[in-house]
Amino acid sequence: MSQLAQYIAEKRQQKPILSMTHVVYGYPSVQESLDWMATLLEAGADFIEVQFPFSDPVADGPTIVAACHGALHDQSLSVEQCLTDIGQLGRDYPQARIALMSYLNPMYRYGLEKLVKRCAEENIQGLILPDLPYEQAADLRAYCEANGVDPVWLVTPVTPKDRLAFLAKEATGFLYCVARSGVTGNSNHNGGDQQSLDEYLAEINSHTSAPIGVGFGIREKAHVDALKGKADVAIIGSALLDAYNKGGKEEGLKLFNNLFNS
Amino acid sequence: MQSNNGYYGEFGGSYIPEILYSSQQQILHAFEEAKNDPAFIAELKDTWQNYSGRPTPLTFCKNLTDHFGGAQIYLKREDLNQSGAHKMNNVIGQALLVKRMGKKRVIAETGAGQHGVATALIAARLGLECTIYMGAKDVKRQYPNVFWMKQLGATVVPVAEGAQTLRDALDEALRDWSSSHEDSHYLIGTTCGCAPFPEMVAYFQSVIGEEVKEQSQAQFGQYPDRLYACVGGGSNACGLFLPFLEEKEVEMIGVEAGGKGLELGQHSIRLSNGLGQKGIAQGFATMFLQDDNGQLQETHSIAAGLDYVGVSPIIAHLAQEGRIQMTYAMDDEVVAACSLLLKKEGIIPALESSHALAGAFKDAPNLPKESRIVINLSGRGDKDIFNVAKAMNDATFPEFLEDYMADYKDHLNNEGEA
Repeated sequence: MSQLAQYIAEKRQQKPILSMTHVVYGYPSVQESLDWMATLLEAGADFIEVQFPFSDPVADGPTIVAACHGALHDQSLSVEQCLTDIGQLGRDYPQARIALMSYLNPMYRYGLEKLVKRCAEENIQGLILPDLPYEQAADLRAYCEANGVDPVWLVTPVTPKDRLAFLAKEATGFLYCVARSGVTGNSNHNGGDQQSLDEYLAEINSHTSAPIGVGFGIREKAHVDALKGKADVAIIGSALLDAYNKGGKEEGLKLFNNLFNS
Repeated sequence: MQSNNGYYGEFGGSYIPEILYSSQQQILHAFEEAKNDPAFIAELKDTWQNYSGRPTPLTFCKNLTDHFGGAQIYLKREDLNQSGAHKMNNVIGQALLVKRMGKKRVIAETGAGQHGVATALIAARLGLECTIYMGAKDVKRQYPNVFWMKQLGATVVPVAEGAQTLRDALDEALRDWSSSHEDSHYLIGTTCGCAPFPEMVAYFQSVIGEEVKEQSQAQFGQYPDRLYACVGGGSNACGLFLPFLEEKEVEMIGVEAGGKGLELGQHSIRLSNGLGQKGIAQGFATMFLQDDNGQLQETHSIAAGLDYVGVSPIIAHLAQEGRIQMTYAMDDEVVAACSLLLKKEGIIPALESSHALAGAFKDAPNLPKESRIVINLSGRGDKDIFNVAKAMNDATFPEFLEDYMADYKDHLNNEGEA
């Protein structure tokens, strides 16, 4: 069993749903982003999904795009430094796990094999690259398998059934289930109702033994509660960043506690 | 050019968010079916001919030929297409495919606005809803095109993210498509993006080279010795070059935008001089202008249609193989080439196409008199009137603009009172 899946299974013994909080590395500055991650871990976040910024984040909506561009505006961010920084964070908070999210190009420039090795060294157990589909990822999959790092595949409500079954079977650490169409954050797209989300998650559950994470559009306590018993991890990104932008760590923490600690 | 499962050598592929998988597969299959359906091809050819004015002429330039005293110079007149550029060939093809797939809306990105206008034109004609993404800076620089897109009924969305140019417009179009894929088609304007877009756009543009084959045989009994095209995204170059790929004696020269200089940010040279590096972004692998950390960088060209940060995977591959020679032209050489064509041949070229002219004019004097070169005049220059006037330091233009502004404001005030 993968380290990540085992961690989730053990933690789920105590909690009905785990939290994965998303933070953009380097936004508004490297130190502030690391402080914010530490604050969330203090508050009991089970995972931090660290996004290494890319100039062209096509799967993200306005909130995260602005943060990525803000992070890249007047500083040069290095993948190596990011791995070192978040590796340290993981050692400071051994009860939690760190997953790295980015787009392919900065990781490709760094070197995929080196990336996976360094992730393993820093105990970063999950790797999320939304613009690298399974079919194009043969090299990355091999490196991950050799180093005990889990590549995290995404499925969506419009993924064809046979493909969904395939990706669900291939999932190891956890499967990232996108809750609706569109990009991250607030969306005017009405991506279906609770019933269709339930059916979608049931379908996925029937194909996989890996844990299930659900993200995209989770903003309220009701959204998190509705996932209990149907998924293992609730992934919260843009809503948390919106709160952070509005009132700093204090406002962000208020939202986190409301969603997961109340 | 047939891809190897979406790849051209090490370039191309399909690197898209999972949410777009089904739509991408749908386009892949629809395109395969359509190009093998005689009814589709007949409708395509009919629309090319009767709506866009194809075939476009192959024009011999006697004065230019005499001026340089070397190769015989011919122009492929894509400037005479409906909309004034080769962009029309592709939008007609894709829009007919949209009808075939039963979708009701098209999304497009545009830099200079030529592809945006072409898309808005065909959308109006075929009754499709149309949304155009355009960098906020480009909206300001190319307002006449924005005006026409709006008049044609399109929604123009200025993109204020990032550098506010073509690359950001492309990102935003992809984001729209991620939430609207069920009823919308992403009508990409060049031979870039995820598979099958490079192959599909190149297929629709190849009418350019196919016509040159027939016309050159008819006019001088053989194929040209050399072909020249400017390379931004690469669609007009693919269109002219690909039908000649197997004709080994035909040389092909692609001309990139040298801009103001070779420092990063001053040019759009992705393939010459080792300035670009391989990367994977915006759906595909190609040579991008990027920094050591893999962040895509800003670009510059006097021609807004050439300042794209990446380049067609087809062109990147053929350049790597040595089948296409790549070179570049600087902003000032481009304006000089534009000016020369105006005075010698009475043709107003787009600044994009003037890069191809500048590249060819450098070689022409040194080529044998019996050799023949064809330059792709991919678009007409009317749209560039403001930029060309400025580049030529025309002293009378500001006065015209001031008078025009004063008159326009009077007109608006009088309308308000009436």
